[in-house]
This record gives sequence, structure tokens and C-alpha cells, in this order.
Amino acid sequence: MRRITKVLIANRGEIAVRVIRACREQGIATVAVFSEADRESLHVMLADEAQPIGPAPSADSYLAIDHILTAAKTAGADAVHPGYGFLAENADFAEACGAAGLTFIGPPPAAIRAMGDKTAARRIARDLGVPMVPGSVEALASDAAARAAARDIGYPVMVKAAHGGGGKGMRLVHREEELEGALRMARGEAGAAFGDAALYLERAIVEPRHIEVQILADAHGHVVHLGERECSIQRRHQKLVEESPSPFVDPDMRRRMGEAACCIAQAAGYVNAGTLEFLVDAERRFYFLEMNTRLQVEHPITEMVTGIDLVREQLRIAAGEPLGYAQEDIGWRGAAIECRINAENPFAGWLPSPGTITGLRPAGGPWVRDDSGAYAGWTIPRFYDTLIAKLIVWGPDRAAALARMTRALGEYRVAGVRTTIPLLRRLIAHEEFRAGRLSTALLERLMPELTAAESTRQTLAIAAAVLAEHERGADILPPPPAGAWRQATQSAWRPQ
Amino acid sequence: MTRWVATVDGQVTPVDVDGRDGRYRIVVGDQALEVDARRTADGQYSLLVDGVSHVADVAPADRGARVDVDGSTYLVEVEEHTRHLIRTRGAAGTRGGSQTITAPLPGKVTHVAVAPGDRVERGDPLVVIEAMKMENEFKASAAGTVHEVRVQPGQSVNAGDVLLVIG
Repeated sequence: MRRITKVLIANRGEIAVRVIRACREQGIATVAVFSEADRESLHVMLADEAQPIGPAPSADSYLAIDHILTAAKTAGADAVHPGYGFLAENADFAEACGAAGLTFIGPPPAAIRAMGDKTAARRIARDLGVPMVPGSVEALASDAAARAAARDIGYPVMVKAAHGGGGKGMRLVHREEELEGALRMARGEAGAAFGDAALYLERAIVEPRHIEVQILADAHGHVVHLGERECSIQRRHQKLVEESPSPFVDPDMRRRMGEAACCIAQAAGYVNAGTLEFLVDAERRFYFLEMNTRLQVEHPITEMVTGIDLVREQLRIAAGEPLGYAQEDIGWRGAAIECRINAENPFAGWLPSPGTITGLRPAGGPWVRDDSGAYAGWTIPRFYDTLIAKLIVWGPDRAAALARMTRALGEYRVAGVRTTIPLLRRLIAHEEFRAGRLSTALLERLMPELTAAESTRQTLAIAAAVLAEHERGADILPPPPAGAWRQATQSAWRPQ
Repeated sequence: MTRWVATVDGQVTPVDVDGRDGRYRIVVGDQALEVDARRTADGQYSLLVDGVSHVADVAPADRGARVDVDGSTYLVEVEEHTRHLIRTRGAAGTRGGSQTITAPLPGKVTHVAVAPGDRVERGDPLVVIEAMKMENEFKASAAGTVHEVRVQPGQSVNAGDVLLVIG
């Protein structure tokens, strides 16, 4: 048993806040790290201590292993939580933490290597007889090798980063003519995001569901699964809405997927929290996709339906404690949904919308959880991802959870930047979503419809704003009292 | 009739208003609306459009209004048409039918798909900007010939910087 008394969180934003909260509830001290762009970010203010780790670009700060280890040493931390993204799936970092005498709150370096290399993970699954999407098991040596592999597999194919995650370095390719461009884009993204541009190919399953299984494994050989999360609502392969349980998975399928997940984790010598991603086709066949050797963004929905605090379990497991419960002790209650509130304009090609949050009023009330890294007046740095907050609700069944999410999204107000909220509200209200007819292609298919509703609203907003000016000109004589806004247009709109 | 220009998210839309006493014909871009409008309280508009009832909450904001329509909020800048013409005269992009492609947000150019003299069709990829961890591809909104390429891969750009000029 290793005692954990002070945790350095090698991350930022909402996930750093999430980990700080779990630590505080366990009576563990916390150390935040921050780049020059994050001095005023929420995680810095909520942590007990905070250490600067370098300039804004993540390569010079959140990805700089030596800077983070120095910060841990300066602060006297005895453990490191990597969060997700950045160094979370970097085996060298986990190893360096160990060498520096720090407990890494995550899997052993060997398990990260085995599963983090997606091609190696596919070999493990293949040897265990777990079904997989047909594709290349080795990383692609060249564009020519990719062309040959794609012909072998058959179009459409999915180009994926061997060390990827979060949809970066991923492209759907329908025809050979598109392959070269897709490889270039994917290589660029993968290189920038993961420092490794290796790619592989998989056959693209048309309109699949993306369903993942959460596992927990302790250092004493116990592995349990905590059921599934349905993550089919995606844009550009990045998840936007997740729910647990999946409306598509029955108890028998949950058991089989859970067993496959535990089996792979055990074979990889996995310890701590991890997630196994599967694609599921219309006939309820599931195919192993990859394992994420870290806490997932969408972990709260599993917490809501199982009552298990995953970050607390990560801390216990890292300290060497046994799980203390078996698979049959895990129960699921009700339904949970998560919506990601990103600083993006969904109606303008998901264009990022960095800037200052001038007003913020999160949703509240019963069974509503706001996992956020934002506050009113905070400027979202343009160097990192667009996630501002995760809105999570629980209900006794899916219908109740949907009603609660509708209510909560209606309450949530973010001013100053564009967010995904207007899109999420319409999506949650859409009959396809309500009926649970989900697939990774659904959102893209619904976008024209959802955008048309948006454009009607925007047209009305423009009409109302212009009308206010127009009527002011027609009705109010003499001119209204001086004010910057009125003065600016005063002379121009005299009635004709 | 009075002519206005409304700007939302940098997108400029001409708006013509005709009528009075609560009955208006409002043309927003290419969309004509017959609107029965009542100001119900300070800043609240009840709008009946084709028999459908909407409530718009209009609050003065910087150079225009913050408008809440059925739960979505828009920042709308409103300007009289002539004034807008005077203010923007001589700005980039006014040359006969040419499109000036500007960076909508700060980021790093990771790929330029065209060179001066290239013929592009609507929807052709032009340039890729990496911002907030995503590669954002910008496409031609109309066919034309590339006149100028003002950026190269690796270059950092600010919002509003001119990337390309297409004619």
C-alpha cells in the first residue's frame, strides 16, 4: 500500500476541477499546474496549490514531462493524476512518474503501451477471439501501402491514428481519390495531437453505434465492468451526447460486452480505470475498436447510474487497495445523459468560438450535475480544446432523464461565446433521438434540419432587432435621450 | 421603405422594412416575412409570422441588440444601409465579384490547397487552420480563380487576417 496525501493534477479545465473535487472529498491535498494562458482558470483557483509549467502552447507546458515533474517535486506531491488527453496515455510519462517516486494514478506503463498502440491492442483482442472490425493490424508504412490495404479491406475505410483518441487523426474515406488527402489531414492532426503520426485503416461500418464499456481493475487481479455508455452522437468523430445505459443494449448483450472488456483488460495486465470502445451494427453485433487507458470525458454518466465515484476508485486503486466488491455487486439504476457544452458554433461548421464568457448561469435542480471549468468573466484560451462544461442529468428511466435534460438545457445560459447549447436543445427534442434510433451518422444527417430551425430563429432575431430600431425612429419624437447605442444610429433612421 | 444592414457573427445581411403600426413586410436577405408585431412590454416583441407566435426579447447592446428568440440568444448589430455603405467603402473584398477569405478565428495555417492562378469550384478546399485542437477546413463559397495567396503553412494568423483572394 502506498499512501497518497498530495496529488498533482497534470491537466487543466473541467477534468482538473473534477479530480480536485474527488481528492478534496478524500482529504487529499491538490496541486494544480497551469500554463501562461491558464493563470486565471478555475482549476488553479480551486486547488490547494498551483505551479506554473510554461508557455501557452501545450507542447511547452501540459505536454512537457520535465516541467510537470519539476512542479511535482517543488510542491512535494506524492502522486500524479493525468486526467484525459495531454499525457494521460503517454507510457513514458507514467514511467517517468514512477522513476521520480510518484504514484501514477492510472495503468502501469506496460499496459498503456500495449493498449495505447491501437495496432498492438487489436492483436491482443484478436488472440482472445474478441470480434473486431476488419482492418490493418500494422501501422501503414506509406501512402502506397495504405492504398493497397484499403483495396484489400474494401471501401469505405476509416483512417485512424495508431496513438489516437478523441477523434483526432481520424477520417472517413469513401473512394481511393480521397485517400491521399485524408491521410495527409489525419497525419497532420495525429502528429500535432499525439506526437506520433502513425496511421492504420479499418473498414467503415455504415451507421454503426459507438458503445463503450467502463472497467475497473485493481492491482490484485480483480476486474469488474460498470456497464456501457452509448456515445453515438458525434460530430467529426468527437462525442457530443452520451448516455448510460444504451437504449440498444439488453442485459445479455451487456454481460457479453462486459466479459469481453474484462478479458482484454486482464490480458493486457491492466490496472485502474479504463474504457473499451466497441462499434455495434444494426444486428447487435459488437466489434472491439480500441481501449482508452484513462478516465473518459463522459465518465460521470456511469457514476450516476452505478453510484460509484470513478475518480475515488482511481485513487484507491493507485494506493494499492483492493476493489472490495465483485461483478455481482455492481448494480445499475435509472438512466443518465451527458451533453457537452463546447465553445463552438455548430451552425457554422463547428467553428471554435474562443473569447470571454460575459455571462454564465448553469442549470441546477434535482439530479442535475454541472462539471465545468468556466466562470463568468473567464476568457477561454484559444490554445486548448473547446469543452467548457459537461451537463449531466439522471432520471429513473430514459424518458425522465430526457425531460430533465430538456429542462436543464433550457436553464443553461452562456453569453459572450457561441456554444453547442442551441443545437443540443433541438437534438434532444428530435424524434429520432427520443426514439433512441442512434448511430454515429445521426447527427450529421440531422444537421440540415437542425440548422434550418436555427436559421429561422436567426431571421426572426434579425427582424426583431431591426424592428426595434425602425419603430424607435417612427414613434419616438423628439429623439430619445443620448446613449451610445441610440446616438450611433440616431441621424440615420428618420422616417421617410 | 427603410433599408438596414444587420450583422450576426460577422455575417452581413441586408434588411428592408416596409409598413407601420404593427404591420410590416420585412425582407431579411432573400426571405420576405409578413409580420404582425406588438411591443408587449419594454423590449418584448410578440411576433406573429404566418400565424405562428414568437416572442423576441430585445435588449440594447453594443452597436445593436441582444435578441432572445425562443430560447436562443443572438447579438445583432443594426446599421442604417447608407451608413453601412459609407463605413465599409474601400474595404477589402469589394472588387468586382471577388471573395476575400479571412481567418474567422486565430490559429495556425496547417495546409494551403491552392496557388495563385488555380481555378476553384464551389466547395473546393482552400486552406486548413488548426485552432483549439481541431483542423478547420475552409472551402470556396463560389467558383473563381485564385488571385492571391497571402499565407503559408506554419504561419500563425489572427481573426480577420486575409488568407486568400479569389475572383
